[in-house]
Parts: sequence; structure tokens; C-alpha cells
Amino acid sequence: MHILEAIKLAIDSILSNKLRAFLTMLGIIIGIASVITIVSLGTGGQKAILGEFEKIGVNVFSIKTRNDVEIRDSDRLAIRDVEMIRKRLSSVKYAAPIAEKMGLAKTDKYTKRALFIATDFDYGNVSNLKVIYGRFLNEKDILIGRNVVLIDKDSAKELFGYEDCVGKTIKIGSYSSFDTAEIIGVIDSGNLKSLGGSIADQIPVIAAIPITYAQKIFPDVNISQIYVMTYDQNQLDETSSQALRLIESLHHNKDKYKTENLIRFLEEFNRILGIFTAVIGAIAGISLLVGGIGIMNIMLVSVTERTREIGIRKAIGARQRDILTQFLIEAVTISLIGGAIGIFLGYILANIVGPFIDITPVFSINTILIAFLFSTAVGIFFGIYPAQKAAKLDPIVALRYE
Amino acid sequence: MMIELNNIRKIYSLGKIQVEALKGISLKINKGEYVAIVGPSGSGKSTLMNIIGLLDKPTSGSYKLNDIEVSTLNDNQLAYLRNRQIGFVFQSFNLLSKLNALANVELPMLYAKIPSKERRQRALRALEIVGLSERIHHKPNELSGGQQQRVAIARAIVMNPSFLLADEPTGNLDTASSIEIMKIFYQLNESGTTIVMVTHEQDIANHTKRIVRLRDGNIIEDTIVPNRIIY
Ligand SMILES: Nc1ncnc2c1ncn2[C@@H]1O[C@H](COP(=O)(O)OP(=O)(O)O)[C@@H](O)[C@H]1O
Ligand SMILES: [Mg+2]
Repeated sequence: MHILEAIKLAIDSILSNKLRAFLTMLGIIIGIASVITIVSLGTGGQKAILGEFEKIGVNVFSIKTRNDVEIRDSDRLAIRDVEMIRKRLSSVKYAAPIAEKMGLAKTDKYTKRALFIATDFDYGNVSNLKVIYGRFLNEKDILIGRNVVLIDKDSAKELFGYEDCVGKTIKIGSYSSFDTAEIIGVIDSGNLKSLGGSIADQIPVIAAIPITYAQKIFPDVNISQIYVMTYDQNQLDETSSQALRLIESLHHNKDKYKTENLIRFLEEFNRILGIFTAVIGAIAGISLLVGGIGIMNIMLVSVTERTREIGIRKAIGARQRDILTQFLIEAVTISLIGGAIGIFLGYILANIVGPFIDITPVFSINTILIAFLFSTAVGIFFGIYPAQKAAKLDPIVALRYE
Repeated sequence: MMIELNNIRKIYSLGKIQVEALKGISLKINKGEYVAIVGPSGSGKSTLMNIIGLLDKPTSGSYKLNDIEVSTLNDNQLAYLRNRQIGFVFQSFNLLSKLNALANVELPMLYAKIPSKERRQRALRALEIVGLSERIHHKPNELSGGQQQRVAIARAIVMNPSFLLADEPTGNLDTASSIEIMKIFYQLNESGTTIVMVTHEQDIANHTKRIVRLRDGNIIEDTIVPNRIIY
């Protein structure tokens, strides 16, 4: 018999007993819905976090002074450390010092708080910073400690009324002393200021300045960390320890510094995600098992109920294979419909739950295919025994069945 | 020879008890014959029909269908022969209740993998032959007994089988409907269809050309019907 006929027959048979079919499907529906919900949210979360990591770069590590040991002035990170890291370590692509300092930024009209990021020309390469007007710091700026600054575009708009304020000057400094710096670039502030309202007002001007210039106007500025980017992600661990040893030798000390990278966070994140997935997978598996047993049960009932039908079909020429196919397709149809409902339900559920946990669910074709595959597998696995039972019925016994 | 039975025995084993339903039946039926198998209840008529219809296997003996020994055939081959060579008509019609008349008639062709267009045409023609061109989209429970049996006959002839096997085809019908069915059988036989029919009613048997009488699993009489009823 043709597959299409068997499917039509299966659907007819399901429609003739909707409630029973629905109850049968329930296990499959729950199993597939939970798989879809969890996988789509998991994928969504993973994608969001990976996106963040990618912005910063996964082959970046940072060196900082440890905060659990005593740090003397001679232990503090210096520009020379950065230079040596660049010069000595062949696997290093970029390295940039970072010193952060709170201060003020002034125009004729406004005075605003400012967060100064004192760094050098490589910072643009190791961070996800985007220059939208003008240029970033260059080697010359650093070499001579030039009085130049980049500010974020939202602050530019606030201070000057428009974003492209390259060429303007601004006064920067702390409470008592100010220096005039030329704006050489405007950077993207990301979505920091899109928060709106009073929070936006609290956010200071983000200002990048040459580290050498910072040392002139802020006498107490210290390099808090050095960002280092390697050529390749798998050089990260080795380069980290090399950099650590290099800096220790430069400062003639030991165990004063530590390195951090995002890979470890990523690994931890993936580990947790893995546990999460396994637990949910187990729940889904149990639901599918229960669903499958439900299907087997209902198919056995169906075979018994339709014994006479089977006898008639055999009398007029159905082979064992025809009967087997018919019942197997019926089982698979039930589980596929259950699977489809489960996918739909999972989709809805993920979209309801998503906003609460701040994750945009991601539905991939793969997930949906796997869900359908699972449904089919459950249908076949649990449908084969009843179908075989039907196929092997003796035609006369079946015909005599009342 | 279309049907050739030689010393067919059938023993049913019910635990310790053994029932010998057929005790060595030898019977030849030619193409174009119209045979009634009669006999008291329990004489083995249905058992014989099931064996001829390839639904059951004899305990011993040989059965040649169109000169092919069928005792050695496997399930698939038997299903194929049932589909192509034999048309069944049962006392209780045995239509599929979920399918309408047309779909019931199409069913054997489905298993023969005949394309749907041809299925439809042939089913309609078969229904026309049995005089049921209306109500073909009705389910069996919306049809009278006589109409249901006509659908069953249409289903039995739609594959152009070698012969029809009818086990008490009028057993569940009133006299008028029975006569209708006998008219159809008459016409089918006149146009060349071989028919083997079990009945315990003498009136019905008198429609056939030959009566084979069974008792206790033996053929006790095999005669030509002298004044058979024709239409
Ligand atoms: N499946 C079976 N199991 C055991 N005994 C059977 C079975 N079928 C028929 N018989 C016995 O075989 C004999 C012949 O039965 P059957 O062929 O049905 O006779 P009829 O159709 O002439 O009434 C009876 O004694 C009946 O009880
Ligand atoms: Mg009988």
C-alpha cells in the first residue's frame, strides 16, 4: 500500500478518536516542548554571551597586580612593561596599558564628571572600542604625551550639541587643575546611555587619553592592568605565564601579579550550560519514554480493536508488510503530531519565559529537525511491536474476531 | 484445472481434543463453474472454503490452484494470490466501517498498487455491475444489508479474480435481497466468472449448476442441478 494512503488512514483513525489520541500524545508533547524551550533558551543565552566575548576578543588576557598581597611602588605596572611584552613575546599581537581615573571635563558651558581611560595606541585593537569620527591615539601621541582626547558620542552631543566635535578643545583634569586637550576622535558609547532618564545623567563622559599625557596631568595615575592580545587563542595560556614571568623579572619580584582571560569564564559557562542541558535532557528523555509507552499502549489497544479489519485486509490481499506499515505509520503519525504540537508549545513557552530571564530564544532548523527526528524515532521504536503483532495475525482468526 | 483438491484433511487441535473437520476431500472445479457447497452445520463447509480461499492451510493433502501447488507458498505469495485470483464474499459482508462504499471497493487495488485514477474507474465499473451506482459515498452503516453485500461483491470482482468464494452470502439477508444477490451471481457466472458458494438453503443452492454435499468432513454427494433457477 502506498505511504500516503497509510498516512491518510492514520489521520482518519486519529481524528475518529481525538481525545484518546491527544492523551496519548501528551508525553511526547511535554517531552518535545521542554526540549525546544530549553534548547532555544540555552542557545539564545549562549549566543548572547558568546557575542559579548567576541566583542572583547577571546584571545585577550589581562595582567594586573594582585589585591591580596602587599604592593609597593616598585611593583606597579609601568609603560615599560607594556613595551617589553610587545618586544619580547613573539606570540603577542597587541598590548595596551590601562589606567582609569575619575575627573572632570569642561566646556565653556558645561562641567561634567569624566572617566578617563589612559592607554596607548594598541587599546583600540584589544578592546571592542569603535572610533566613529576622527582617529584613535597614535604612537606619536604616546611618545610625546600629547594633549589629545577621544570622547564618547553621547557626551559629545551633550557638551557640543552634535556628535562630530573633532578639532574642538575641552578642559580636562581634577578639581583644582585643568589642562586643555584637543578632541581627535569620537567613540561609540555602545548602549550605555540608551538607558535614559536620570541614570543617563549619572554616566560620566568616557574619555580616552594617552597614558603619557595622563601621567602629566594626574600625578597619582597608576596602570591598573595591561591588556594583551595573542595571535591565536591557543597561545593564551602559555603567553600569559610568559608575560607574568617577564614582568616579575622586570620588577624583581614574585607572586605580585595575576592574569585573567575570558576563556575560563567561557569554559565555566559552557560547563554550567552542559549540566543544565543534561538535566533537561534527562527530563525530556523520561517524558519521551513515557510518551512512547503511551503510544505502544494505545497501538496495542488499536490492534485489538481492529483485529477484524486486519483480517479483512489480509483476506483481500494485504501482505504482512502492508499491515506493518499501516500501523507503524499510524504510531509515527501520532508521535509526529505530538512532536509538532510540542515544538509549537515549546516555541510559545520559550518566548514567554525568555523576557523574564533576559534571553532571546534562538530556534534553529537543527533543533526543530532533531525534535521531529526524536518524535519519529519514538513512534517507530514503540510502534514496531504493536505493528508486528498486527502483521502476524492469522487471517482466519482475525476474521472470526468479534 | 482451476481448483484441484486431493485428499485434503484438516485437523483442529484444541489441547488434547482433536477435531477432524475435513477427512480427505478431493474436488475439482473448472473455469466457469457455479458450485454450491451444502451440508449441515459443522460439516466442514467453512473450513473447506478457507482452505480454497488460501486463508487456511490443510493438515495434509494437495491443493492446486491453476495448476500451481499452493501448500509450499509463503505468506506473501498467498497474499498475492488472494489479491489477484480470489474474490471473497462473506456472510457478514466484512466491509471496513470507516470507509465509504467506493473506498471499500478500491481497497484490493490499493494492495495491488494500481494507480488511483484507474482504481477509481474500475471501482465505479464494479459497482455498476452489481447495480449500485448511487450511494457509493455512503459508509456501510448507511446502507442496507443487500446494498452492503453488493458492495462486497463489487470488491470481490474488482481485481478480475479467477473465482468468487462466497460463504453463506445470503445468510444475513431477507428474501428479496437474497434474490438480488443471486441475480448478480447468475449474471457474473453467465459472463464467465467461476463461483463457489457455501449455503445451507436449498433454494439458494438451486441457483447453481452443481451441488457438492458435505457431511462430517466428507463429500457425500456431488451432483448437477437439474432445474436450476435462472434469470
Ligand atoms: N478454529 C477452529 N478450531 C477448532 N475447531 C474448529 C475450528 N473451526 C471449525 N472447527 C470445527 O470444525 C468443524 C467444521 O466446522 P466448519 O467448517 O465451520 O463447519 P460449517 O461451516 O459447515 O458449519 C466443526 O466441528 C467445528 O466445530
Ligand atoms: Mg460455516
